[in-house]
Amino acid sequence: MAMERNVAIVGWKQTKHSANYGASRERMAFELVKSLLADLKITKDDVDTFVLCCNDFQDGRTISEVYPVAWIGAYMKDQTKVDADGSDAVLYALMRILSGNYDTALVIGWAMGGSEFRNQSIMNYTLDPIYERQLGLMNELSIAALQAKAYMLKYGLSEKQLAAYAEKNLKNAAKNPCALRQMADATPDKVLQSKPLYLPLRELHGYPATDGACAIFLAAEEKARKLTNKPVWIRGAASCQDTYYFGDRDLVKVESLRKAAGRAYKMAGIKDPSKEVSVAEVHSTFVSQEPIFAEALGLFPAGSGAKVIDEGLSKIGGKICVNASGGPQSANPFTVTGLIRVAEASSQVAGKAGEHQHPGAKLAVAHGQTGICGQHNTVFVLSSD
Amino acid sequence: MRDVAIVSVGYNGRFVAKRPDINIPELIQAAVENALAKTNLSFGDIEAVIEGNMPTFEGVNYPNLWFSEHLGAVGKPVMRISTGGTTGMSAFHAAYYHVASGLYDTVMVVGWEKHDEGDVQVGLIGIVLPDVFAMMQNFSPEMSGQGTSMFSGGSTGGASYQAMSYLAQSNGSVEHIDMIAAQARANAALNPYAHLQVPGCKPEDIAKTPIISYPLRFGHTCPASCGACVMILTTKEKASKASDHAAWVKAVAGATSDATTGNLVDGQITDPAEQAHCKVMAKKAYKMAGISDPMKEIQVAEVYDGFAHQELLWPERLGLIPEGKGPEYVAKGRLAIGGDMPVNPSGGVVCTNAIGASALVRVAEAALQVMGIAEGGHQVPRKVHNALAHGWGGLFQFVTVTILGDAPRK
Repeated sequence: MAMERNVAIVGWKQTKHSANYGASRERMAFELVKSLLADLKITKDDVDTFVLCCNDFQDGRTISEVYPVAWIGAYMKDQTKVDADGSDAVLYALMRILSGNYDTALVIGWAMGGSEFRNQSIMNYTLDPIYERQLGLMNELSIAALQAKAYMLKYGLSEKQLAAYAEKNLKNAAKNPCALRQMADATPDKVLQSKPLYLPLRELHGYPATDGACAIFLAAEEKARKLTNKPVWIRGAASCQDTYYFGDRDLVKVESLRKAAGRAYKMAGIKDPSKEVSVAEVHSTFVSQEPIFAEALGLFPAGSGAKVIDEGLSKIGGKICVNASGGPQSANPFTVTGLIRVAEASSQVAGKAGEHQHPGAKLAVAHGQTGICGQHNTVFVLSSD
Repeated sequence: MRDVAIVSVGYNGRFVAKRPDINIPELIQAAVENALAKTNLSFGDIEAVIEGNMPTFEGVNYPNLWFSEHLGAVGKPVMRISTGGTTGMSAFHAAYYHVASGLYDTVMVVGWEKHDEGDVQVGLIGIVLPDVFAMMQNFSPEMSGQGTSMFSGGSTGGASYQAMSYLAQSNGSVEHIDMIAAQARANAALNPYAHLQVPGCKPEDIAKTPIISYPLRFGHTCPASCGACVMILTTKEKASKASDHAAWVKAVAGATSDATTGNLVDGQITDPAEQAHCKVMAKKAYKMAGISDPMKEIQVAEVYDGFAHQELLWPERLGLIPEGKGPEYVAKGRLAIGGDMPVNPSGGVVCTNAIGASALVRVAEAALQVMGIAEGGHQVPRKVHNALAHGWGGLFQFVTVTILGDAPRK
């Protein structure tokens, strides 16, 4: 499973995420790609292949990508689309370059989750249409609440400690210029006073409804070195899907993420991620998923969620910084969120994260999920060398 | 670059209008089991799965999650691809890149649609005029009903525009579309998996059907089918152990034109029959496959003909027959199973359309022709060295091309 070519992420760009972008998807995608290409001092003709990610349910129209295609410069050019979280689109772009057919690829995803659709009602469409959906008990929030409660009971994480995870992320977000929900003055009490969703989850454990887009430019080694002096090398990449019904899987263990991470680390030659990885961007839709996913990624020992937050092991400057960007608590444009994790992890490794830079970030893990509570997980290992 | 082979093609059974007896995961599982049974492989040998269909048609988002167990994919990578009508072939291309990248050796690709569980035209109208349609929906509940009925032409409306333009350019008439539609229905009768089978169908039979949107008759249009298609791909090293048959992937290409019906490029309005992106991608694919004279080197083609006139249009744009010669070729029987450029011996999409599967079925049928094992009498009589498969999607914006051969690329 070793990679036959060295492939790097050489450029990335996010919108300033917002509750209402105020213009069309096409405008959003156009502005973003235009400025990314300008940053890299290249034109659309330097892009060998385009890989898009979006979701028709969330965009509310059939084959949603047909319109933005021309706006991002993909007209008459090689282009395809992944219908999953953006992290899978990066994985496909990587495969296309590894094949030797292409040297460069542009990945872009967009979502109008803030101004156009209700996230939860869209997520209900991933549920089993015959039984679970009709019953009305299962939804993105209720399942995440069950998952949170399961972890808290099993490993003794208190509500206050869970709120401290949200506090960390909201404060990190205040340092991230692209974040939508920023709270420099966040405290566990403020989190615990926010609107209850499905207890123990509250509004500030979750995510803001977000309009946003993210684009990433990948290149094979030779091209990458020409385009930047700080390429971010993809050293490992893998994905894995879990069982469908929630009763069939251990929501706290997240077996599929463990498998995906194991494969990605093996490719990257990482033996002990808890010692080698310095920074992680985790697609924790609800803050309760952060310790669960970080443990499945092998960054912290199982059940250490309380210890990690109490000792500040995952804060900026901590042992392994998790979600320096604020994670999905700062902005969660559906399908783009995993792509943003890859972009933010790249920022960290390249030392370009600015105020929310984790000092000495060399090896990063980026994680994306599709579905509810990590049904499908994708993992990247990114390195500065 | 690694050589990639198709070693198995599986169907859930014959494509039909309604399958009330099974649900979607069961439909898919039947095709998966069928494909595996034709190989020496078991579930454990499949390292990754690629899945695709039209997202909104059956009302389930990310259905790949739902099929986990039925795909045998628990604990494996699954990638979901969706690009409108080209979905099946885009998913096939993704499967190809899974192997060509060197990350995986043996992968499975699944394309499916169960049209009896959704409203196809409602989904399709959204492509024709998505912005207007969305506006109508959002404006008021009363308007949303009218919005639906206002554009009830669905894809046929756009296709009739393309057909008129094509007939004008190629000096064809409605009778030529009758001829190719009759050929498709008769070919389908030789394919045990095809949906609309009319043994010995004659152009006169098609001519009796009413006009839906001039020049397209009811007999020129495709049915809404239920069915799934599965293929297994592997490396050169593993191909001969996996199966007795192999079709080698020699080229893959896909591109997109603009979304508007009349492509508005630099202020110049072109028409949907022009298909510049199809010509560009065909050239690219021939170059990748090392084919210099497609008319001689390609022995059979499977094109995505949701509407019968497209079975004349695409071979022209793909360079398989001379430009403007479609009507002449069909009149002389040159596109028939025994002709010198057989097109759609399977009966094509106009006889079987499970949308998310249709573009994948084109590759599957091309693979069966290369392997020489097409069942029921639709195997072309001459030796097939190279076969071309084509897909289109959206409102003619998307195009995908795949070329398969009986030996790996040189």
